[in-house]
Amino acid sequence: MPELPELNPIIHGKLRLAVLSLLAGVEQAEFTWLRGKTGSTDGNLGAQLLKLEEAEYLAVEKKFVMRKPQSVYRITEKGRAALAEYVQALKMLLGSAINV
Amino acid sequence: MQDEMNARELNERLDLIQSMIAEGRRSTESWGWVFLLWGVAYSVAIGWASWGGGLSVWGHSYVTLGSIRSGLAWPLTMMTAVVVTLAIGLRKGKPLAATSLVRSIVSIWIAVGVAMLVIFPAFGFTGRLEEHTFVALIAAMLGVANGASGMILRWKAQIACAIIWWVTSVAACFGSLAELTMVFLAAIFICQIVFGVYAMILESRRNRREIVHA
Repeated sequence: MPELPELNPIIHGKLRLAVLSLLAGVEQAEFTWLRGKTGSTDGNLGAQLLKLEEAEYLAVEKKFVMRKPQSVYRITEKGRAALAEYVQALKMLLGSAINV
Repeated sequence: MQDEMNARELNERLDLIQSMIAEGRRSTESWGWVFLLWGVAYSVAIGWASWGGGLSVWGHSYVTLGSIRSGLAWPLTMMTAVVVTLAIGLRKGKPLAATSLVRSIVSIWIAVGVAMLVIFPAFGFTGRLEEHTFVALIAAMLGVANGASGMILRWKAQIACAIIWWVTSVAACFGSLAELTMVFLAAIFICQIVFGVYAMILESRRNRREIVHA
């Protein structure tokens, strides 16, 4: 019997998974857009984004637009590959769950 | 970790990924106002140029030969529309999320817009543009832009506008100047003003839904 895959714990958190999936569908997005789409708070979203950034799944560009700070996030190749692997692992686990 | 998870939780994760990817790709921008603004601009230009002269006095050949008022109508109205479009666009700011879909559609409209802004003033300056050719050209170009973005978005209403513009383009090759003006005005009303208002209503409904979900 083949060994069941491990789910990547960095992506597994619901908010982190939502953010990574959102960014997989766009080229880049601002913090405020991500906050609106996920319905999360500034603090929680910031903490989860930092974890994804530390894992190099996201790249962030911080700048000032009309004197206001703006953080623009985009998914990296490593992040996209990790999300694809996570989806594959989920599907394998689901397959095994159905077989059982 | 997965030992603790059941199939329902795994399915929830998959659904979350799919819904978030789809949510990200969904356009969140508002473009209905641009259609409305330009529809009004075309109508104002026609009305201004033909003021007191009837429906057969509004085109470019009359710009150079006719009165100064008629000569200024198209260039001034179009330049004002460009300035207002840029001003509102800048005021709205850059979109919060960039997608390749939106970039491709915006590129088509910018390219068509630049083509119009380059070719029509040149024709007007040389006086070689006749009204039928003017309407046929402008309608064909608007048909291309509407058709391309309608096909990218798979938006039947916009594809219908493209067809109306192409029919207008062909119709512009026939008939009198007064008939040409009526056909042009009808196409502007349907494809710019009605379509613009329709797009704005859809955008407003979408924004309301997003506020409720947030």
